[in-house]
Amino acid sequence: MTDVVLRVNGRERKASVPPETTLLQLLREHLGLTGSKLGCDVGDCGACTVIVDGKAVNSCLMLAGQVDGREVLTIEGLATRDRLHPIQRAFEERASLQCGFCGPGSIMSAKALLDENLDPTPQEIRDALAGNLCRCTGYTKMIEAIQDAARELRTEKSARTAP
Amino acid sequence: MKRRGRGIACMWYPIGFTVAANPSAATVKVNEDGTATVLTGTVETGQGALTVLSQIAAEELGIAMDDIHIVSGDTDVAPMDTGAIASRTTYVTGNAIRLAAEKAKLILFDVAAPVLGVKPSQLEARDRKIQVKNYPQRCLGIGEVAHRAQVVMGEPAIGSASWNPPTVAMDPETGQGKPFSTYVYATQVAEVDVDDETGEVEVLRIVAAHDCGTAINPMLVEGQIEGGISMGIGFALQEEMLFDKDGRHVNPNLTNYIMPTSLDMPEIEVDIVPSFDPTGPFGAKGVGEPTAVPTAAAILNAVHDAVGVRITSLPATAEKVLAAIKAKREGATKKLTAV
Repeated sequence: MTDVVLRVNGRERKASVPPETTLLQLLREHLGLTGSKLGCDVGDCGACTVIVDGKAVNSCLMLAGQVDGREVLTIEGLATRDRLHPIQRAFEERASLQCGFCGPGSIMSAKALLDENLDPTPQEIRDALAGNLCRCTGYTKMIEAIQDAARELRTEKSARTAP
Repeated sequence: MKRRGRGIACMWYPIGFTVAANPSAATVKVNEDGTATVLTGTVETGQGALTVLSQIAAEELGIAMDDIHIVSGDTDVAPMDTGAIASRTTYVTGNAIRLAAEKAKLILFDVAAPVLGVKPSQLEARDRKIQVKNYPQRCLGIGEVAHRAQVVMGEPAIGSASWNPPTVAMDPETGQGKPFSTYVYATQVAEVDVDDETGEVEVLRIVAAHDCGTAINPMLVEGQIEGGISMGIGFALQEEMLFDKDGRHVNPNLTNYIMPTSLDMPEIEVDIVPSFDPTGPFGAKGVGEPTAVPTAAAILNAVHDAVGVRITSLPATAEKVLAAIKAKREGATKKLTAV
């Protein structure tokens, strides 16, 4: 068994898992965080995307042992009790998802992008979503929503930094 | 070098299926608090069906969409529905729900008419009220009327209805009939760049004009069209199930069954053509599957416009397009030498 101690959505979590356990299995089966989805399990579809130390990763391609001591953010860590994260709200308002299965992964890819770049071009948004396959929407309304969310996050940031 | 081309394709598509019966049934119950409960056997698959069906029920009852509680898909309790198939949900299930809501509404009119001192035919349901037409100040709250229907009149405001699209069977001698109740129409225009040294096709822009009858929820219509176009692009240029000589599927995963990503999607302009079908709920028809129909044809016509070759088997991969370009050049050379 492999012992891992990591921070998930700001909380310290511990688990003792078989060494072949992936980060996705750790999240879904050991920590009860089923928001990240199991799609292809080989890194093609991006439904399992989470953020590890600020970078979007396919959690099906990472072993639980590799996240020992690291910081993981999942879709469950975005909304607070009072409000959705601006990216989630923009996805809702734009009807950016249809069946929704790619949603948690797509939103985490968008979050990783906006954490690094609050003013992305449409092409930069397309690049960030390139690893998240969606069969329903054609991505168009996701790209629009990410632009909306970026605008809102910029406004929030300038309000915070204003004297 | 890259050569630009434009292509156009038009389509018609039938709403619902034919041959067998194609019914939907629904029950609508108006509650004492002015909300309504809708029971339907159809299923939400992400296309927004339950949103649109709630809008239809709310419009008929003169209440808000948030006042509708919709119960769907549970075959233990829900009325029968043929299914979320054949682009039929808005049209067929929508008609059933509108009719069921109308029946519940007529009960409310019967109950409210004597209180307001008018005939039921002089009433309308609007703004969460049952009111006299042209005299909106003479009104009762819809919840109050629903309550009165139950405890005073003993006739709860519940409506159930089913709808089966009217069709005409084929005449065995002439082969003529009316297999579908209604049809939708669309035109899509594609703009592409074709690299004549590699055969690679890049779709730059798709403009899609669709007639879906009344667009009950235009944002969801756009979502359906954009999604259909992405499927059409995959169909045109990328997606192919490959089998070996023993019939084994050789690309059964997303590593080598290539579908469109965000990088493959062009700019899309959607034009919802104003239209009204008197047989649909509030004039609506449907939009789902038709959106994917003209895309591949428009793209392949654009490829022809760009480099002058006709690709007649899909997907039009770079290899196929390049082979066709080379064959065309060789043909042109042969003609020159013959002269």
